[in-house]
Amino acid sequence: MKGNKLRLALLLGASGLFLLAWIFPIFWSLLNAFKSEQDVLAYPPKLIFTPTLAAFRDVLFGPTSIVPNLISSFIISIGTTVVTMVLAIPAAYALARLRVPGKKWSGFYVLATQMLPPVGIIIPYFLILRDIGWIDTYQGIILIYLSFSLPFAIWLLVSYFEDLPFEMEEAAFLDGASRLMTLWRIILPQVRGGVAVTVVFVFLNAWNEFLFAVVLSGNVVRPVTISMFNFVSVEQTLWSKLAAVSALAMLPVIILGIIAQKHIVKGLTVGAVKGGGRR
Amino acid sequence: MTARGRVQLEKIVKKHGAFEALKGIDIEIQPGEFFALLGPSGSGKSTTLRILAGLDAPTSGRILLDGEDVTGADARARDIAMVFQSYALYPHMTVGENIAFPLEMAKTPKAEIAPAVREAAAKVKIDHLLDRKPGQLSGGQQQRCALARAIVRKARLFLLDEPLSNLDAMLRLATRVELKKLQRSLGVTAVYVTHDQEEAMTLADRMAVFREGEICQIGRPADVFAAPNCIEVAAFIGSPPMNLITTRTTDGGVLIGGRHVPVAAPLAAGRAVVVGVRPSAVRFDPAGIPVSVDVVENLGDAAILDLTLEGTPLRARYDRFPLPREGETMAVSFAPEDIHLFDPSTRRRI
Repeated sequence: MKGNKLRLALLLGASGLFLLAWIFPIFWSLLNAFKSEQDVLAYPPKLIFTPTLAAFRDVLFGPTSIVPNLISSFIISIGTTVVTMVLAIPAAYALARLRVPGKKWSGFYVLATQMLPPVGIIIPYFLILRDIGWIDTYQGIILIYLSFSLPFAIWLLVSYFEDLPFEMEEAAFLDGASRLMTLWRIILPQVRGGVAVTVVFVFLNAWNEFLFAVVLSGNVVRPVTISMFNFVSVEQTLWSKLAAVSALAMLPVIILGIIAQKHIVKGLTVGAVKGGGRR
Repeated sequence: MTARGRVQLEKIVKKHGAFEALKGIDIEIQPGEFFALLGPSGSGKSTTLRILAGLDAPTSGRILLDGEDVTGADARARDIAMVFQSYALYPHMTVGENIAFPLEMAKTPKAEIAPAVREAAAKVKIDHLLDRKPGQLSGGQQQRCALARAIVRKARLFLLDEPLSNLDAMLRLATRVELKKLQRSLGVTAVYVTHDQEEAMTLADRMAVFREGEICQIGRPADVFAAPNCIEVAAFIGSPPMNLITTRTTDGGVLIGGRHVPVAAPLAAGRAVVVGVRPSAVRFDPAGIPVSVDVVENLGDAAILDLTLEGTPLRARYDRFPLPREGETMAVSFAPEDIHLFDPSTRRRI
């Protein structure tokens, strides 16, 4: 009994420490978002101050509004997610079910794309997009994101599809369903957890991406991760505005996380039990 | 009702690489017949069913349904319903939605679906469970749901792949009877795969006994039981199965445990034969050959005795009480017409 309590205390203490390290930057950034520029720079740092929405007002409605950038980020992220899922779901299903030549190596290929250092391929990507005139276009940046998100999404989804019994599909065929109808009516509803997890990961990766965006975008396509740097310049950094933009940029991520939390946790534990998903 | 559901399998061969899973299967099933594919696991009976359903393609051979060649046709184009061993219910749909699915796929008008679902569910007595999910049903109810989904569409052929094997013993017996009644009332052709010879014996109008990718025998259960045409069928049919004794013929009979036993159709003396005697055909006769009782298995209304007849083991059914005790000596005899003879080299019935 006493041992259990001690264990619980230690466990809570350890989780508390982790949580603190995790949450402090977010907390600090949020705090700064509600401060005036003077309060941000005050020393010693002020924990008690008069909160103001001035920074939010400026970044949303001021001359350097980030609303177009948020829209840009949404177009990129939703576009990447939709195209990825539309292609990844049938591809993963095919890979899980059909005897495809080279299937054994596809897992390695997927991991390889995740291991490539992005800096190493950014120049080839730039040259390719320049040659086809897709620099600073949505289709250009989405295409580049697809090259990472598509293999990743397929790899993640395959393990979910492989867990489904064959007999259920065969029953559907005998019930008169085509393969596509079977995928849509029988298979997908059962892997919706996996689909949710994949959507969240793909969306977040696209939303958070910075390096490719900074090189391959420009004035037309300008996601919020890039626009934050409007507030950092040689002479000064507008900390409270930067913090306000960060807070706004985090919002969709947090909302999506909360919505998909149940599925994500389940998805992660499925992967854990199976030893990394793909067999 | 027009006679739908005539099945012809012609020289069906299925190869997996060098391995021949089916070595040329010929079966003809009449409309309305309850036909069992019986055999041990790996004998090819399930492969035959899958090929018939269109889930696997044969390496060679033809499949005809009502005279029409469907060898290359998709499963969904064959108008066949199937109950899987695992039931294969759709877990995200309710029982009602599961049963309605084949009708939806067949583009049945919405107004006709609900009554048809209710009717099918009522036939298998699950009409009170239509709003449940399969996960909330017992094994027996799931099985009924799978049956309802199969019968709702009034397909021309009804395939059942070991549908009772996941039920407990009591439920299996009850469901077996209902299955037979259901098939009779629908008048539909049914092909039933099982490894349980008792199920095949009780359910089937005719059956095919499979072994190692071949059919040993096709016939009415009673005929197969009465005259198994090879050693494998003899060893598979009946519970407990037939005693098989390797011995020689004598003038007018055979040797069993060194004793001359007359047979109905004697062969030339001195020939090697396998003698088959059903445990129920062993007669206890004080004037017969002495045997020692090794083991007594009491079944309640009868017993299975493990006997030794001069070194030859023999199983017999015994239904007189009190039962003999283990270690006791008794005497048995055999009626000539109860002796089955098989050729040990061709393994065929002589």
